[in-house]
Parts: sequence; structure tokens; C-alpha cells
Amino acid sequence: MKLKTIFLAGALSLASTSVWAACAFENDVPVKSLTAGFEAWKAATDAMAECGNFQASLDQEFKEKQPEAFAANPALYQIGGVANETMIPLLNAGTIRPLDDLVEKYGQNLTPNQLIAVDGKIMAIAMMVNAQHLMYREDILADLGIEEPKTYADVLAAAEKIKAAGVVEYPLGGTFATGWNLAQEFVNMYLGEGGNFVDDDNMPTINTPEGVRSLETLKAMTAYMDPEYLVSDSTYVQQQFQQGKIAMANLWASRAAAMEDPAESQVVGKVKMASAPMGSAAPATSLWWDGIVLAKHMTDEQADAAFRVALEGLDSEMVQANNDAAVWLIPGYDVGPLAAGAAASAENGARPYPASTALGILHSEIGNGLAAYLTGAKDAETTLADIEANYLVSAKEAGLID
Amino acid sequence: MNSRTFAAFVGPSVFMMLLFIAFPLISVFTQSFYVTQPVYETVEVETCTPGFLSQTCEIQRKSIPKLDEDGSVIQETRFVGLDSYRNVLEPERAWKAISSLDWGAFQAIDFWKALRFTLTFTLFTLPLVLGLGLTIALVLNNTAKMLRGPVIFVTLLPFIITPVIGALSINWLFRGDGILTALIENLLNRDIALFAQAWTLEILMMGYRVWHVAPFAAIVFYAGLQTVNSDALESALIDGASRWQRLRYVVIPHLMPLIVFVSMIHLMDSYRVFEEVVGFSSQGHVISLQWLTYDFLVPDQAGNRSISRASASAMLTMIGISLLLVPLLRRTWRDHKGGH
Amino acid sequence: MPTRALTQPLPLKLTSTGFLLVWCVIAAFPIFWIAVMSFKSPVDAFAGNPFQVIFGPATLAQGKGISVLDIVLGLAVIWATARVATRTLPRLIASHAPAGYAWAGWIIGSLTLAVGFVVVFFGLLPAVLNALSPIFGPLGRDVIGLSTEHYKTVWIDRGFSNNFQNSLIVTAGVVTVSLTVGTLAGYGLARSGSNLAFGILIVALIFRALPHSVLVAGYLPVFINSAEWLRPILGENAPTLYGKPWAVIAVLVAINQPFTIWMLRSFFQNIPAELDEAARVDGCSHFQAFRRVIMPVMWPGVITTGLFSFLLGYNDFLVTSLLLDAQNQTMVPAIAGMFNRETTTTDQVVAVAAAVSITAPLFFLVMVFQRQIVSGLTAGAVKG
Repeated sequence: MKLKTIFLAGALSLASTSVWAACAFENDVPVKSLTAGFEAWKAATDAMAECGNFQASLDQEFKEKQPEAFAANPALYQIGGVANETMIPLLNAGTIRPLDDLVEKYGQNLTPNQLIAVDGKIMAIAMMVNAQHLMYREDILADLGIEEPKTYADVLAAAEKIKAAGVVEYPLGGTFATGWNLAQEFVNMYLGEGGNFVDDDNMPTINTPEGVRSLETLKAMTAYMDPEYLVSDSTYVQQQFQQGKIAMANLWASRAAAMEDPAESQVVGKVKMASAPMGSAAPATSLWWDGIVLAKHMTDEQADAAFRVALEGLDSEMVQANNDAAVWLIPGYDVGPLAAGAAASAENGARPYPASTALGILHSEIGNGLAAYLTGAKDAETTLADIEANYLVSAKEAGLID
Repeated sequence: MNSRTFAAFVGPSVFMMLLFIAFPLISVFTQSFYVTQPVYETVEVETCTPGFLSQTCEIQRKSIPKLDEDGSVIQETRFVGLDSYRNVLEPERAWKAISSLDWGAFQAIDFWKALRFTLTFTLFTLPLVLGLGLTIALVLNNTAKMLRGPVIFVTLLPFIITPVIGALSINWLFRGDGILTALIENLLNRDIALFAQAWTLEILMMGYRVWHVAPFAAIVFYAGLQTVNSDALESALIDGASRWQRLRYVVIPHLMPLIVFVSMIHLMDSYRVFEEVVGFSSQGHVISLQWLTYDFLVPDQAGNRSISRASASAMLTMIGISLLLVPLLRRTWRDHKGGH
Repeated sequence: MPTRALTQPLPLKLTSTGFLLVWCVIAAFPIFWIAVMSFKSPVDAFAGNPFQVIFGPATLAQGKGISVLDIVLGLAVIWATARVATRTLPRLIASHAPAGYAWAGWIIGSLTLAVGFVVVFFGLLPAVLNALSPIFGPLGRDVIGLSTEHYKTVWIDRGFSNNFQNSLIVTAGVVTVSLTVGTLAGYGLARSGSNLAFGILIVALIFRALPHSVLVAGYLPVFINSAEWLRPILGENAPTLYGKPWAVIAVLVAINQPFTIWMLRSFFQNIPAELDEAARVDGCSHFQAFRRVIMPVMWPGVITTGLFSFLLGYNDFLVTSLLLDAQNQTMVPAIAGMFNRETTTTDQVVAVAAAVSITAPLFFLVMVFQRQIVSGLTAGAVKG
């Protein structure tokens, strides 16, 4: 047991986490936040904590707790971390506060792109975008003389060649874990095909030729994937990449940095980030953002303090210290090769995730219903029809349709 | 003991159970007959979301709940009778599938799919747990005194380990190229994927449960074996009873109350099977009744949850477990009557 | 009971020994394996080849490893601890603890032992080894890759000790309240033969069968808004129950009550009723009889039942993850959080180290209490 090396490593890691300068002001109003728990939030809330009197909850149950905790009066948390879709329940319940006055007072450093406006009022401040895009092993594709895949037809053809060459265990990886992940894959494909999920009356519109085509593409991909695809989530796919077991995957931009981490990756410098493959209408991906909201049920003094603390967490210093943790929207972000995939997808016309109450329900139903098609228990039309039927039951119970 | 003293002794316990179990239970029961929902209106809203470099703003038709003057959502509670039960059970579809003898279509309905697995799980693991537990207890009781302590210690490990952690560790051992999967692959000399089809997953989940619970059975039975009447054993020996006969006619009857106890606990726990589904993320292939309830209850990302259907499904789970327990409860009732 | 005629034929002996051996391997292997993983670098920990996991070449290459000498001394310390826990400690307690307070002796004894082990194993041993390694030559050279950095990350950087503390509070609360309330109820139920008593037991049993997720989801809104609906009763000081450890303790106690009262009732039924009746003849009330006559003899059953309460409080995930916030989160939801958030492979090994850390106290507990468990169960804590 080499105690010295351990201490040294500990000291180094401590040093590296305290690179950024401390908070610009001394906060004396107690502020609490409730956010998701991933790396970018950890970085942001750590930076907020430097202002003092701040407690962060990085909670995997935040989706369940946030609506209730913000509805309480006074709210249990002042700052909330949300994404496109998780802002909907708070917005619907009217428990978050318009930020226009605070942005005017303190938000000089925010870019217009960060301001999420609903009905003309700024309701949230975005800090990062995320999207699934193609990552591939440049070395393998170059060896086999394959061009960078631009469409899913290209991806499948490349997978076939890689399989024939037998250079990796599985040519493709995919975040096909039943539930949210799998549904997200379908959403991406369907957006790529130019489909719409619900009509103006919230009736589902996925049992269409585009829907069937999306399903067929997904199924075609599974032939080249680890047979345990229904349990592989992003972390698992990332690990498969790192261990050199797969050659291509449509993976989240926030995972890109892991490929270049020498401590755990065996493929450093070999993975290239590219645009999400094109569907027939758009890239088969959707743009997500993550950002902060403020609770409505608190005093103006608290809101003032909470907003200033939040901005300290989203400043350039934090971004410079954690440049590769996410694709930041904050000034000071150095757009490196790791962000190339997200950038290319956006350039090719990737659509934002069409967050709405209806899609929230539909997303869950897709997640539960899709596996039956991939395992061969149902055909494509039946699968989509069953998902629509389940959606109607849920939407009726939620009061969304009559 | 008069009823006042009795109340004083039992009161605190009963009060806690009423407050935290019975009261929620009643509310679950009523909720299964009602739905509570916000009143939606459709409006056109301009929404701006960030892109990679610049914002996209678009005008969308959106359904949003109406708010009252205080700014809280207007909720409407409606009596729906058995609708939620119908939505969970889907009787028409189930009946159609049954009458056309189409097992596949029948199993396409979530509730029946979950019931099928829950029952299989419960009924397969029960004899395995009892059998393994009894065997360990008997063998343990026959080994040298010196060895018993360490063996009991090791035996208890699977039982005390935190279930979430236990399921995860099994997960690593078998998932993908986990080392035990690699071992089996080496033995069979072919590629296998245990998480890729329903039946292997079911075996894994049952195996995990037996591993986790058999120690409890073993230790209870072992304790019971310490009190076996040695006179009865010796007289059986004098009658020339074989080892097997002594086990069958002296030891097992002595352990019977314990077997009933362990069975009861196990039936209840395994009918609620849930951790395995989450730990092995098996929901793509098999689901259980409690998982179904949980899935109704967990809000989707837009915050909707199906409370009414969750309540209905929970009540159905309750009914199922009560039915399973009836034979064992009748036995306990007979003992109670006989005892006083 | 061992009469000569009961001795076993050799084949049976061999089979049963073989069976026990196989069972022990099956029982211990997964836990052993995650313990091994937690000491390796991420590359080794998730390697496909088992030998690579065990020997950890990548970890060794980073200059982290242990030598034969380290292993021998380490095992010796562990063996000595086990020995003290199972042999010396019971003897000391039997001879030193005043009658009736054996339980206190157990608590103090096991705590001392645990602290002593931590000091010797993590404090003294490394220092001694550092001094000895150069002397022993090849025996002192690192052969197996092993690194404790993940434990450092968990306990120091991630503040896991805070979660540990919270777990202790919740668990201690659950055990104490659950046993206090449960012993009273168990005694009352055992001594009352009425149909009402039996009815309570049956209803409790049905309560035990309830799917927890339904109950718990029902608590959340009520707990979060408690300040609002308690205000008319308690005035301005009405607490928010959400995030309060004692509220979680109350919930866990209630959930655990059915099992506790069943166990304790059957235990008390095996204590002859004549005992407390005699005390009653001497003019004691029921409570006095309980305190003077029953309390001194009830500890085996109570310890066993307490252990089950401990396991429930310590291992609970559903209730604690939903009703506590980050500041007072217990260990199990904290670990689940580490696994479920967007993780890197290093994070996963760190989470494995946390998982092993949470198992260690359970190890000690069973080591110390295993005799009590068996004797408590034997004394009739379970009789259906």
C-alpha cells in the first residue's frame, strides 16, 4: 500500500477541483437547489456553492419531487434544474417565476440564445445543449475504406462491412434500454422522417408510414448490435465504446469526453464525432437543453439571491474549468472537436425535442410498447396501434382528451 | 387481560399501522374509483428554445391546464366506477384472446403478462427456497460444531446484503461479458446473452431471489432443528425407522409451523417482486405486478401520472396476495382456535 | 442427541460436506467479487477475463499494488478480528456485563471492536508494512494490483460519511422505536387470547403484503405540504415532514410493525404465562409484571427481531429515496444515485466501493450477533 501515492493523487484531485475563482459576492440568504445528478449539474452546483449558504440536491428522483416541492408555499427549493420536457409540469402548474426583471438587473453576461421564453416571458436560463449524434471509430472505418456514414442506409451498409471484417465484437451500439432510452431512439428516428407525434387535438399520429419506417430502421440496426440491447443504457454503450467492442453508435454529446479519458478508455483519439445520420427529412436526432428555473413561491429578496447564485454557477469560469463536461451555451466555452457532432447535427437542421404534455405521455407509452416489436412479439402496425391505444387511455386519465 | 390494558399495550403499534398503512390504503381504495385531472385549454404560445448557436422561436398550439385566481391548477375529480379496473384488466381484449386460444395476444396485455410472471416467480421460487433452506439446515445441523459458526456466517451473507446492491452485483457477473457469463460461454463453447431473451432472464431473477431468501429459511429451520424432541427421534430409531423416515415423520412435522411461517413470508414478498425487475432492467421482456403499479405511478417527464390505474392495479395485487394466503391463514386460524 | 446409531455413513458425510462447500461458495462469491472489483482501476474492474480482475495488471502498472507480506498480515488481522468477535467478546460480556444488561455489553463491545479494527487495519497496518516491506525482499514486492483510491473518493471527496451518519440515525431510530412499540404490542397480543387480538394479527399480515410503492407515493405530497395542512393544528411552527429523518423513521417503523409484532408475539407465547401471573398475584399491574418479569428474559427474542428491524431500516431504498433530500440522504439511495446518474466507468467503480462500504457494517453485525440470532430463533421467536 503506497500511502504516498494515494495522498499525492488526492491532493492533485483536490487542486484540480478548485481551479476556478471563488464567488464574486457573499451570499447571506439560504438558497437550495434541486436538479438532476449528471456531471454538468455537479460542476454548476459546485460553482454555486462557493457563494455560501447554498445547498444542492443532485437527485435522481428530481422529476418526481420537483413539481410537489415547487408547489409548496414557501417552495422547498429556490432553484430548479430542468430540461425541455421537465419544465412543462412546472410551467403548467404556474410554480416558476418569470425572470425578465432579474435578467435585466444581473444578466448582462447571458447570451440571447440562453433565454428560454414562453409567451414573451423569460422562464428559464439554459446552460447547455445535448443531442445524440454519430460517434464512430475513425481507424476502423478508414481501414475498411468506408466513408463517414451520412444516412442510416450508410450506417447499415458500414455495419455490414464491419461485421464481415470481424474487427469488433458488434459493429453498432445503441441506447436501446426499454423505457425512456428506447422511446428516445424512436423519437429521433421519427423526427428524422419528418413525422409529427400528435395533432392539434392531442390525438396520436404515429401509426403512419413514417412510423413504420422508423421502426424498421431500428430493427435493422439491432441485427448488428449486442443481443442484450434492450438493457443497454448510455453508460453501457459508452463502456462498450471505451473497451473497443463497438465501432459506431448514436450517442449523447455529453458522453463524448469519456472516449478521450485515458484512465478508462482504450480508444483514445480514435473516435470521431459526426452529425446524426439523416432521415428522409432531417437528422435523426433531437436537440435538448438543460437550464435553471426559479420557484415562484419565495420572497423577492430570496429570488434575487437565488438568481445571483445561479448565475455564479453558470459563469465563464465554471465553463473553462469543465469545458468538456457538456456542450455549454455559456460564453467562454471552447468549441472543440468533441462538440463537432452536436454542431454538425444542428447545422443539418436537427429539430428541438417537441416538448409538450402530450408527448410526455406518448414518450412513456412508446418506451413501454416498443420492445414487443423488437423481440418479434408484434408486427410494426400492431405495435404502433397498441401504443396509440395506450396513449389514449393515459391521456384520457390525465384529462388531456375527452 | 382486560380490554383497557390490552389497548394500552397494543395501542401505539395499532395507531402507527392505522396512520401509515391503513389510512393510505383507504385512500388508494377510493382513488381507484375516481380520476382527478386538470382542466385543459388550448392556446397558441410562442416558445423560444436554444439551438446550438441561435434560438428557434415558433408559435405552437399547446394544451395547458387552466389556473384559478390564486394561480393554482383547477382540478376536477370524477367518479368513474370500475373504469380504471377495466383499463388495467382490459377484459374484452383478454376474453377475445382467451376464446380464440391465442396465448400471444393474451400475453400482449400488460396486466396478464405481469400476472403470469408474478405467479410463475412466486410458485417456482417457493419450493426452491423451502427445499434449499431445509437442506442447508439439515446438513448444517449434522456437521461438526466447530464448522457451524463460520458456515452460518457465510450462509447469512446473501440475506443481509442490501437488495439493491445484491441485484447489481449479480447484474455485473452476468451482463454482457460478465465473468460468470464468460465462464458458461467457455463451458458450452458458444456465445450466450443472458439478458437477451425472457426465459434466461426469468431464470436469473428466480435464481437471485432463491439465493437471497434461502438463507433466511435455512436459519429459521436450523433454529427449529435445535428443539427437535430427541425422545421422539430415539423411539423412531428403536422402531427401525430409516434416516429418510425419521426426517419424514419426526423432523418435518416438528418444523411444520416454521415451514408455514417461511412460506407465508415468502409468498407475500415474492408476490410483490419488484427489485429484480429494476435491478436486472428486465421490463423489456418480463414485468411484475408491483412494477406495473409503480410504472403507472411514476410521473412521465411531463409530470403526468396514472394514479387511478395505479390504485386499481394495487388493489388487484392485494386481492391476489390475499387469495394466495387463504390456505395458510386457515391453518393459522385452526391453530389459534386449538390453542385457546 | 448424538447417539452412536445416529452417526452418518461416510458417503452421506462426504456429500453433505461437499454440498455445504458449494453452497458457501455460491453464497459468498458475488460479495467477494464486488469487493475485489472495488480495489481495481476501472480498466481491470470491468475486464472480461477473471484473472485480470483478480490480479489487476493495469492497476499494478499504475504503481498500486500489494505484496505477499501485505496479504499475509492483512489476513491475519481479519482472522484475529473474527476470532475476537466470535470467541473472546461473548466470554467478556458474559463475565463483565451486569445481569440483564448483556445487550448494552454487546453494543459497547461490538462498537469497540469495529473501531479497533478500523484503527489497526487502516492506521497501524500500513505503517508497519511500509517499514517491513524493504526487509523482506521479494515477499515485500507488489504482486497484485490493488488500490484504495476509490474508497478515498467515496469517503473523503464525496462526503459519504455524511450519508453514513444519516443511515445510522435512521437505523437506530427504526430499531429503537420499532422494538419499543413492538414488544408492548407483541406482549399484549400474546397474553390476550381474544378474537380481536387474532384479528389484529391477520390484518397486520395483510398490511405486510401491501406493495410499498403505492403507500410511499401516497406519502410524498402529504409530507411536502405538511407545513400547510398542519398549520391550523400546530400554528406557525408546523414542520415540513419531507426531508426529516424522524418522519422517515415513523414510516419505516409502521411498515415494519406487522413483522415485528408477529415475531415477538410468538416469542412471548413461549414464555410461560405462569411467570407474569405469579407476579400479578403479588400485586403487580400488567405493566409492572411486564417490566419486572418479562423484560429480563425477553432479550434473545428482542435481539433477533431487532436485527430484522435493523436490516429493514439500513437496507431500505424506496422510502428513504423519496422522502429524504440530499442533506439527510442515507447510504442506499446515495449509492443508487451514483449508479444511475450519467456516469463514467470510474464513477461506477467508485459506486462499487461505496456498495462494499455499506456491506461492511452488516458483516460485523452478523459476525457479532450470529449466535444471538440462532438462539433467539430457537427460543421461539418464530412459531408460525
